[in-house]
Amino acid sequence: MDSMMLTHYLIIGAILFCMGLIGFITRRNLIIMFLCTEMMFQGVSLSLVAFSRYHCNVTGQTFVIFVLTIAAAEAALALGLVVLLFRRKRTLDANAWSSLKG
Amino acid sequence: MSELYVKIMEIRPEIIMLIGACCCLMVGLHRSAEIRKLTVAVAVLTLVFAGFYNAWQTLDSDHPWTLASFTKMAVCVVGVLLLSFASGLPDKLKMSRDAESHPEKFDPGNVMRGEFYAFFLFSLTGVMLCGGANDLVWLFLALELTSLPTYVMVATGRDNIKANESGIKYFFLGALAAAIFLYGFALIYGATGVTNFDQIRECIAVTGVTPLFTLGIVLSIVGIGFKIAAFPMHFYTADVYEGAPTPVTAFLAFVPKTAGFVSLILVLTLTSKTNFRMGNPEELQIYISLPNTVQAVLWVMAALTMTIGNVMGLMQTNVKRILAYSSVAHSGYMLVGLLGISSCVAGVTSTNGAAGVMFYLIAYALGNMAAFAVLACLERNGDEATDLDDLAGLSARKPMLAALMLLANLSLIGLPPMVGFAGKIYMFSAAVNAGFVGLVIIAVVNSAISAVYYLRIVNACYFKKADASQTELVPTRNRVMVALAGAVLAVYLGLAGNELARITNQATIANLFNGKIVRQVLQDYPQAMGGEQTAWNIEKNNP
Repeated sequence: MDSMMLTHYLIIGAILFCMGLIGFITRRNLIIMFLCTEMMFQGVSLSLVAFSRYHCNVTGQTFVIFVLTIAAAEAALALGLVVLLFRRKRTLDANAWSSLKG
Repeated sequence: MSELYVKIMEIRPEIIMLIGACCCLMVGLHRSAEIRKLTVAVAVLTLVFAGFYNAWQTLDSDHPWTLASFTKMAVCVVGVLLLSFASGLPDKLKMSRDAESHPEKFDPGNVMRGEFYAFFLFSLTGVMLCGGANDLVWLFLALELTSLPTYVMVATGRDNIKANESGIKYFFLGALAAAIFLYGFALIYGATGVTNFDQIRECIAVTGVTPLFTLGIVLSIVGIGFKIAAFPMHFYTADVYEGAPTPVTAFLAFVPKTAGFVSLILVLTLTSKTNFRMGNPEELQIYISLPNTVQAVLWVMAALTMTIGNVMGLMQTNVKRILAYSSVAHSGYMLVGLLGISSCVAGVTSTNGAAGVMFYLIAYALGNMAAFAVLACLERNGDEATDLDDLAGLSARKPMLAALMLLANLSLIGLPPMVGFAGKIYMFSAAVNAGFVGLVIIAVVNSAISAVYYLRIVNACYFKKADASQTELVPTRNRVMVALAGAVLAVYLGLAGNELARITNQATIANLFNGKIVRQVLQDYPQAMGGEQTAWNIEKNNP
C-alpha cells in the first residue's frame, strides 16, 4: 500500500470522525447522539487499520479489536442509562434533561 | 524470565484488586443479610491488601519508586479514605431498601451494594494500570476502565432525577472525549508504526517530530483533558459534581484526575527529547525539552482552565458547584506544573514539574476530601444540603466540623503551612525554571482570586448566624474520620513534605529521561551533573 492509497483511507476515516462530531453537537436524540460517538470510534478504527496495512504490521489491527470491545461495553452502558432516563421522563429528547445550570 | 512474566509480576496489585472486585459482586448478592453487610469490609480489605503488597514489592527489592508504584500507592491510600467516605451510600437508595425490606424475600435484582463497591474498585484498578502503562493500547484500556464504572456510580448513586441527568451528561461527554484521545493515539501509531512507548521514543529520535505525530499528541492531550476537567472539556464539571452523591463527587475529583495527569505525563514523555548542555558553572547538564507546539497548547489550556475555573467559581452559591469549579482551576495549576517538565534538569528536584504534579494531586485530594466530607454531614429532609446558607452557624453547632472545613479551605487556597502551599511552590518553581514566568504570574493571580470563594465558604461557617433552617447535622463516624484524616494529613505533609517530594521526584525521573542518551552522555562526560543518580534510577527501573 503506497502513501497515496493511505491518504484515501485516512480521509474517509477523518470524514466519519467529523460527521460523528457534528452529529453529536447538533442532534438532540439521546440514541442518535450515542450512535454519533460510535461513528467517531469507527472513523478512528478505519484509520488504525489503514495505518496497520501501511506499516506492514498487525499492531493497529489488534488495537482495533480492543477498540471494538470498549465500544461494545460503552454501548451496553449507554443503552442502560438511556432506559433509566426514559423510564423517568418518557422522552429521548436531550433538552428535557437540563435542570442543572449555572 | 520472559517479558510477559515480568509484566504480570508488576501488575499483581491490580490483579488483587480485580479479584477483590469480583468478590464484592458475589458477597453483595449473598442470601444472608449479615454476609451482605460485609461487602464494604471486603472492598476495604482488598484495597489494604493491594496497598501493602505494592509497598512490600517496592520496598523489599531495592527498586526506587516508579511512576507505576507511586500511583498504586497513592490510589490505595486515598482509596481507603474515599471508600470509608462512600460506605453505606448504596444502602440508602430506595431500590436497595425495598429489595431488603422483607428479610425472608430478598430481591437480588434490585440490590445495588455489590455493584457499587465493585465499580469503585474497578475504577481504582484503572488508575493503577494507567501508572504502569507502556503501550498506547494499554493506556487506552486503562483510561476507559477508570471512566466506565464512574458513569454508573454517578447515575445511580442517588434517588434523584439530578443524578440521572448528571450521569447521562458525564457519559456522553466521556464517550466523545474517549473518541478524541483515541484518534490521537491512532495518529501517534500512524506516525511511528509502533504502539510501545520505548519504541515510539526511539522512532521519534530517528525521524524527528513530524506534523502527524504532533497532531496525535495534541488530540490526546485535549481528549485526556476531559478526565482532568480542563478547557475545552470542562463543561460537564459543575453539573456532574452537583448531581452526583457527595462521596462520589469526592471520588470524581481524585480518581479520573489522577488517571488523566499520569496519562498526560506519559504522553508528554513520548515527545520529550533528552539533551545536554554546558551549565552556568562549568558543569554538564542533562535536560529534556518539549516541542514548541505542544508547549503552546499546554500554555493556552493551563491559562484558560484556571481563569475560567476561578471566575465561574466566584459566581456560584452552591458549595458543590464552587468546589467543582475549584477542581477545574486546580487542573489549570497542575497543567502549569506539567509545563515545568519542559526543561527538567537531571538531579535538580525543583525543575521536575511532573513530580510537582504528582505531589499536588495528593495535596489537592486531601484538602478536597476533607471539604466534601464536612459538607456530607449536612442534610435537609433526608437529602444533601449543599447551599452556602446551609453552612451558616456551623461553628456554633459543631466547632470541630467548622475547624476542619477551615483547614481544608486554607489548604485549597494554598496558604502556608498547609500542603497546598508546598505543592504550589513545587510546581510553580519548576515552571519558572522552565521560563514560563508569565504563566506563573497568571497562576498566582488566580490563586488570589480563588481565595475569595474559599473564604466565602469559611465565612458562612463562622460569621453567618444560623437562621431556624431545617438543616440537620448528621456527622457519622466515617465522615468525621475522613475529614479529620484529610485535614491532619494536609497539615502534616505541609510541614514535613520533604520525603513525599523526594519520592515523587524519584518516581517520575525514569519516565522523563531517555535512558540510552543519559548513558551515552555519562560515558563521554562522567562528571555530568545529576546524571549518575538519574542513570541509576533508569537502570533500576528497566532491568
